[in-house]
Amino acid sequence: MRSARAGQIVVALAAAAVLAFAVLGDDEYTQHLLMWTALNAVLAVGLRFMLLVGETNIGTGAFYGMGAYMGAICTTKWGLPFPLALLAGGLLAIVVSTGFGLVTLRTKGPYFMLISFAFTEVVRLIYTRVEWLGGNSGIIGIFPPQALDPWMSVLTFLLCGGLILMMYLCEQSNLGRVFRAIQNNDAVVETVGIDVVQIKLVCLVIASFSVGIAGSLHAHIYNVISPGDFSYLVPVFALAYIKIGGDANVMGAVIGAAILTVLAQMLQGMGSLEHVLFGGAIVASMLVLPDGLLGGGRRLLRLFSRGRA
Amino acid sequence: MGLIAQLLVNMLQIGAVYVLFALGLTLVFGVMKVINFAHGQFFTLAALMIAVTMPEFTERFGFPAWVDYFVCFALALLTVAILGVVLYFVGFERYLRDLIGSFILSVGLLLLLEGVYLWIFTGAPRVVPKLLTGQVSILGGALETQRLVICGIALAATFGLYQLVNRTKLGRALRAVAEDREAAMLQGIRYRRISFYGFMIGSGMAAIAGGLIAPLTAISPSLGNDYLSKAFIIIIIGGLGSIPGAILGGFLIAAVESFAGYFLDSSYATIAMFMLVMVFLLVRPQGILGHAER
Repeated sequence: MRSARAGQIVVALAAAAVLAFAVLGDDEYTQHLLMWTALNAVLAVGLRFMLLVGETNIGTGAFYGMGAYMGAICTTKWGLPFPLALLAGGLLAIVVSTGFGLVTLRTKGPYFMLISFAFTEVVRLIYTRVEWLGGNSGIIGIFPPQALDPWMSVLTFLLCGGLILMMYLCEQSNLGRVFRAIQNNDAVVETVGIDVVQIKLVCLVIASFSVGIAGSLHAHIYNVISPGDFSYLVPVFALAYIKIGGDANVMGAVIGAAILTVLAQMLQGMGSLEHVLFGGAIVASMLVLPDGLLGGGRRLLRLFSRGRA
Repeated sequence: MGLIAQLLVNMLQIGAVYVLFALGLTLVFGVMKVINFAHGQFFTLAALMIAVTMPEFTERFGFPAWVDYFVCFALALLTVAILGVVLYFVGFERYLRDLIGSFILSVGLLLLLEGVYLWIFTGAPRVVPKLLTGQVSILGGALETQRLVICGIALAATFGLYQLVNRTKLGRALRAVAEDREAAMLQGIRYRRISFYGFMIGSGMAAIAGGLIAPLTAISPSLGNDYLSKAFIIIIIGGLGSIPGAILGGFLIAAVESFAGYFLDSSYATIAMFMLVMVFLLVRPQGILGHAER
């Protein structure tokens, strides 16, 4: 049954991709919109992955930023090939998240949330202070190889889809069951001889790796990065995607990412109104649809079927 | 000696405002188990209200600056109280004791309110006229008189809250709810009412901090954000929900900022604070005076 579900997801993602390309055509703006959506979906699924063990990892923003900076340096300063630049982003995220996790995962709940918040903000501050990383203005001119240009959106879709699928498969595996068990009651998990901190560390590292690769991809899609792109708002928005889409499964996060990315694009350039509407959308969905769109849809379905019965 | 004294005085004065801000945050967490990311918006609103109303008052009535300041301060507190009531009953009441739900809600409010402030007050930094002119010298360190007065008020407010929590019936109820909600309810404490009071007092502390910072700095709609990240560091060091911890942590962070900020640079001071927190977490994951989370 497990593999059948995975198959369904693959088919669903592929169908969505084909449909999106077929319907929206290949003009540059929509292609970019699709790529941004894919990146945001990875962020949302990565954040949700850590929620499976019951932790809110605001450090997601920091690891995304590290991936982006690493990818940018590989391409612009070291002249490494594009696939290596992508991989380097993921690897750096693994190394740093391991160190970060070893110290901070001894705490949990609100403490972990706040410390990961502080981590993201401090890492961002460090970018602004380091001249080699471009300081406040960041790094420009991060281009993927020219031959890849027509394929960039397809590549992004496949790569992001692959990362999401990887996290989905982890969630469905025995490891995922341990994650859920920790979320429900970590003391019980401890008593059967499982090292909770170690499992949480594995969870953090997998999520950070995915987000790191997505970050490197981000650098090559936007071509320009600056410290301001990687503030605590990145994971906050990701959390909003999850909540608005529905946090019961992976697809909720993906749908939420798609809706809010498009909304954010429509609001761009409206100045303060952008903040008002985006914040308003988050607040309204929290008040009106506490289980997100998917949860709301399911409730509606149940209501209808009960009405008929 | 003069330099050290100056830095110490500086620390006391920054610390007093940090303590007030962090106290509100930690009190709200203790009672509601909610980390209010929109806490800084109360702070910002109070400062903005004073910055907007004070010049009007001065022009119309011509009282001395400090009279205007206190009238506008009262007005600002009233505005914040209204906002607090609305936010509590429309939003937070549904997400009591829900860490992730309340986080998203409060971040949504953070964005929403910042946008609204930008819309109403525009982004241009505003300056509040000085309350009092002149300087005093303490132990060879020079200090503006108005800073001394503001520092005094902040310390008085901190002391007041401390007394409220430790000496009054309401304070006992707040502590009981923070300690164990169910046991408190069994004793006949109305949890919902007490958590509302806790929220209002906490938000009030943020508003007082905002009102006090108004004459000392340029005020913009994003003023509260810097204070928010520092307040998080303070309450991690002090222990979430711990009032003495927030006071201690506030002055500790102010000391780091004052000294590291003088000898190095303000952003290095923030990085130093973070390092301090990491070391703290290695030794005491539950903060200086906090209890382990159960």
